[in-house]
Amino acid sequence: MTPKEIEDTLIKGIASILSKNESSVASDLPLHQLGIDSMGFVEILVYIEKTFKLQLIESDLTKKDFETIHALASFISKQL
Amino acid sequence: MYFTVPSSKNKRYLSGFDWVMGVIDHILKRSTCSGNASQIVFELDSPVESADVENSLNRFLKFFPVVQGRISRDLNLAPYWRFPGMTHGNGLNLDVCHLDSSTAQTSEMSLMREWVNRPFRDEQDHLSFHLMYTKGPKTYFGMTFDHRLFDARGAESFMHLFQENLHDNGTIHFHRDIRMTASADLSEWKDKFEAGRHLNRKIIALSKTSLKYIPVTLNHCETKKSFQFMLISFNEHDTERIFARAFEEAGYLMAMPYFLAVAAQTLHELFERKALPADSYIVPVSVDKRSSGDIRQELFFNYASMFLFQIHAHAVQDRRTLIRDIKKQMYEQIQSCFPENLLKAAALLRIAPVSFLRKIFLLPFEGKFASFCFSHIGRCSYLSPEFMGAKINNLFHMPRVPVPPGIGIFFNSYNGMLNVVISWLDGLVGDDDIGTVECNLRKMLCGK
Repeated sequence: MTPKEIEDTLIKGIASILSKNESSVASDLPLHQLGIDSMGFVEILVYIEKTFKLQLIESDLTKKDFETIHALASFISKQL
Repeated sequence: MYFTVPSSKNKRYLSGFDWVMGVIDHILKRSTCSGNASQIVFELDSPVESADVENSLNRFLKFFPVVQGRISRDLNLAPYWRFPGMTHGNGLNLDVCHLDSSTAQTSEMSLMREWVNRPFRDEQDHLSFHLMYTKGPKTYFGMTFDHRLFDARGAESFMHLFQENLHDNGTIHFHRDIRMTASADLSEWKDKFEAGRHLNRKIIALSKTSLKYIPVTLNHCETKKSFQFMLISFNEHDTERIFARAFEEAGYLMAMPYFLAVAAQTLHELFERKALPADSYIVPVSVDKRSSGDIRQELFFNYASMFLFQIHAHAVQDRRTLIRDIKKQMYEQIQSCFPENLLKAAALLRIAPVSFLRKIFLLPFEGKFASFCFSHIGRCSYLSPEFMGAKINNLFHMPRVPVPPGIGIFFNSYNGMLNVVISWLDGLVGDDDIGTVECNLRKMLCGK
């Protein structure tokens, strides 16, 4: 998967978690500005694990990797 | 195979969680002076005209006959909320009071306490409004609501809708957005039973440990007990620091696990003194499960579910371990769809009357639901900085707590300011105990 495809998949999943239209989920905004709280955040983790078959708990995730959807897509791309 | 039982215009089928709210209402009415009610309070920086408030509320409420509904059940298995086609005149429940002596917070709080502890007039009365004028310009407006009608975010949203349509004169169309009907949800039985099995396993596993709780003594012969409240507010500067600390200690966006850890640590000292020795705390934490980004579509009734956290008493002192454990449990419960399973399984409960369910609810933990209640409303749904022209200094909630456990800690934020409300059943703990809890809470949150 290309980083762009990963980003699109993430937007789709996050829009569904937030019950919003995909068009209203910007990839360059910090996650808290998208209205994500702790539960939404964990839901995203679970969605990533199921979709990309990654074990995030065992990976070396940093706060920076989670700042935006764009940053998250780059991180996932490196892990795949 | 899906099928939907058609809903008539003045009939709204209740979800499993709505029914759970009804059971808690029944439990609270039996054991305390009122039902499952909560209160949203606005602290305003200037007075608002009581006649204006009365007229505007009267005009607004005319659009919502649903607020005069009551629970009903025909031959159908599913209970529903039956409401009139148009509002009829049992009048707006608004009381106005003037605080003529001291404006100390204790006096203000004691009046607000009276508001939320006062029972509604009858089975079709689910809202009451209150105005309190203090000696100075500061004024309080409160809406006490029946939890069978709204959840906390629904109540905030209802008041936001009121404020948004303040100047419209009968030509408003907002009610078109609000979803008033719901399917009876009498399909997919296999799915619901499977969800119930998963839920049951979890509850049985939790019930094997001894639960830490403060014993509640309820004498049904004496006057039924009310709830006490304490509000702890933090200014913008302190709130910013608290959230920075939460994200530093618990991780990015992990405010809820952090606040739960702080609440458990704060109450631990109190439980060590008041509760019998036991292995762990069980804490139900409500989560918003709205399926729409537009809260107005899901304004009335309850759109929440719950996590159940188990906190080992021996591990409470170590904040780092505690936070890690809470996060792990949250992760596992989301992965195993615990909140969704609870909603599906709760739909099955609707077959039983609330009086029967009360007994069932008390079975697994031998009469104790939980050690304490906790919630964190991450996002405020009242989006305006003012109420009827007056600037809002603060907005907070005062929920009555299921008994048992009869004690809870509730976090919410408004306009960048964090509020913590402690709610407890009269006589369960003393004022000194709560004073210590307050002091510890401030210390822990502010790191002083």
